[in-house]
Amino acid sequence: MIDLTIDGRAVQVPPGATIWEAARLLGIDLPVLCHDPRLEPVGVCRLCLVEVGEPKLTAACVRGAEDGMEVRTSSERLEVCRRGLVELLLSDYPIDASGRPKTGSDALLALASELGADWPDRRSRSGETGEAPRSRTEPAGGIPAGQGRPLDGTSKVIFVDHQACILCDRCIRGCDDLQVNEVMGRTGKGYQTRIAFDLDAPMGESTCVSCGECEKVCPTGALSLRVWEEPPKDAAGSGNTGWEVL
Amino acid sequence: MRLIRELERLQAERGYLDEASLGELSSRLGVPLYRLEGLVSFYPHFKTEPAPPVTISVCRDMSCHLAGAEHVADALRKELAGTEDLAVEEASCLGCCELAPAARVNGHPCQLQDAAELASSMPEGDPVPDGEKPPWRSDPYAEDERYGVLRAALESPSPTDEAERIVEALQESGLRGMGGAGFPTGLKWKLVRSEEARPKYVVCNADESEPGTFKDRVIMEELPHLVVEGIALGAFVVGAEKGIIYLRHEYGRAKAALEAELDRARASGLLGSGVLGSDFSLEIEIFVSPGGYILGEETALLEALEDRRGEPRNKPPFPGQVGLDGLPTLMNNVETLALVPGILRRGVPWWESAGRDGHAGLKFISVSGHVERPGVYEIPTGTTVAELIELAGGVSDDRALKAFAPGGASSNFLPADHADVPIDFATIEERGSMMGSGALVVVGEGTPLLPLAANVVRFFRNESCGKCVPCRLGTQKATEMLEATLESGVPLDWSVIRKLDLLLRETSICGLGYVALNPLTSVAEHWPEEVPGCSAEAPGSGIVAPHGQR
Repeated sequence: MIDLTIDGRAVQVPPGATIWEAARLLGIDLPVLCHDPRLEPVGVCRLCLVEVGEPKLTAACVRGAEDGMEVRTSSERLEVCRRGLVELLLSDYPIDASGRPKTGSDALLALASELGADWPDRRSRSGETGEAPRSRTEPAGGIPAGQGRPLDGTSKVIFVDHQACILCDRCIRGCDDLQVNEVMGRTGKGYQTRIAFDLDAPMGESTCVSCGECEKVCPTGALSLRVWEEPPKDAAGSGNTGWEVL
Repeated sequence: MRLIRELERLQAERGYLDEASLGELSSRLGVPLYRLEGLVSFYPHFKTEPAPPVTISVCRDMSCHLAGAEHVADALRKELAGTEDLAVEEASCLGCCELAPAARVNGHPCQLQDAAELASSMPEGDPVPDGEKPPWRSDPYAEDERYGVLRAALESPSPTDEAERIVEALQESGLRGMGGAGFPTGLKWKLVRSEEARPKYVVCNADESEPGTFKDRVIMEELPHLVVEGIALGAFVVGAEKGIIYLRHEYGRAKAALEAELDRARASGLLGSGVLGSDFSLEIEIFVSPGGYILGEETALLEALEDRRGEPRNKPPFPGQVGLDGLPTLMNNVETLALVPGILRRGVPWWESAGRDGHAGLKFISVSGHVERPGVYEIPTGTTVAELIELAGGVSDDRALKAFAPGGASSNFLPADHADVPIDFATIEERGSMMGSGALVVVGEGTPLLPLAANVVRFFRNESCGKCVPCRLGTQKATEMLEATLESGVPLDWSVIRKLDLLLRETSICGLGYVALNPLTSVAEHWPEEVPGCSAEAPGSGIVAPHGQR
């Protein structure tokens, strides 16, 4: 077994356990967007960064616990970094993306409010009208807003808003590792990177089997559920198979 | 390596990678389409559309920017507008900064001014220039003595003692990694040697791509036997039987020189099973990178060798423990490996005396920018920046020196009054910059520095892999802010720049993110009057960097 301390409290974990797992044993919930206990950690959102007495911060979800390690999960340095990272993500986040039907809640906005990120709260703007709100992004923490990523409404089950995607890789691991459907990956490089289906096909034209795992694990409004109603009786035979509610 | 090589073979066959071929490859190898998409869209070498018979790749980065590449490229585009069967594309630093402004015509390096003429003759190959090559002091051998250190090691009655002697000598010499990070070489060899897992690998990192850096190219072209012997000695010490040279795809001449050297070594029994009749076996192969600056990051390089997108891994573990295919991997830069035979052949006292004023050793420096004779210079460590600029013919056009970057694009700019700094790791760090990749970029008086800083930040934005949040978004946001300021003069919101710098430095997975705003923050520190929005009271990032990061 491995003995370490987290925020001064001793904890014992089996070899191979991560700092994130050790913290959980103590009831410490480190903020995460890219991690899910069912998935292999990737350490890309950087929100679970902790101090371990090294010059660099380290991502708790991927870093293995080590004997004698002294971990700090909160400090001003960590708070500033976490809030800044969330602001960076929000600067590209469409204001109404969280309004879409989801299996889970919008973890990015929940974290934004928990960490006190500087971002125009979408609720305070719900009264505004006049322009299509769905492509609107706002500066967060003074960081210039980004926009222009495409929507993909070709799947009858899942709606894809690339602008709301934070590239946490959860949908990809859900698709390829959990469900072993092996449809989703990433296309492009750097800021141009997007999630993609097969050879970057529209979702509805890809080999996606509509299992819904990607939507379920998505922590933002990037992958949401489409909600359809039965067609009214007088539409029978018209070829109309239903209406999208939202 | 298999999948990336298959893609390269397919592209060589058809000229580009169309959906039908990728679909066929996916079925044949049982590899899902998404993985092929991930690779093809990540690596710049892969094309999904047919290329015209002639492609001119124009470098837009640091040294070429200083040589006015943007204007020359605009003129070239105008001149060639409407020319059929020809494309002009922008490319990241091509690694031939001595030609700045540089271009490649179908892979043939040239000066941008000559690109149009070269394009009309449609060159195919990349001939190696004839002529006498100057002797390099790092080469301890007459031609018939080559591989003397390896031969002696293999003849030693106790390979264990010999390997330990080599580690001790390297540790005593103080040799450090010349790729940018400066990790002590002897210690690295010792650590990988002590790993128990087998097999082990040796990887020569020949993916030099930092703007202003081309020394490794020249070393591979002119001293390939030292690179090969360095790899062999590394393999002998750590107990590896396989070496891989990870070479950037633009380095055609270096590849030819290395291939010829590997053939010679094989023919002399220096490679293969039971080298020179000993128990030591070694194969070395060249892997050509499908492109991108980030592949020079050691774990991104390993990802590429494992047929994935070249995205740096979270560290630890380090490649010495968990490297290629999860096995211990000794990874060293070209120059580092090439210096090893000389140190071992002539001894540590020689190495110490080869430097100057108490600094040990020799150093290859790529000199580019505003100098009369840009090129690779092999200097005694401790030579000052001012002396090296003189050696390179002085600042071009009789200008005074304004600024210099001592270690490539990621190193902090220093003003002219620091030109007395002796070139060595510690001395440059004391002045607030770093040795980096050993690339001195010289900036003459009269050069506006904010456009130069923006050029370098844009390079890091272009070359960010996109894996982690701070680097993917931070480099983009900083680039947008700089472009807005350059276009309209609107002052930078310095509190936001500081925030981005903090996030990049503290939370990025790899070094690209840590250093991405160095050019901007160092210009702001030394020339605040050139950075609108950066007040004199709050120069620089104001953030204390973690130890060893800048």
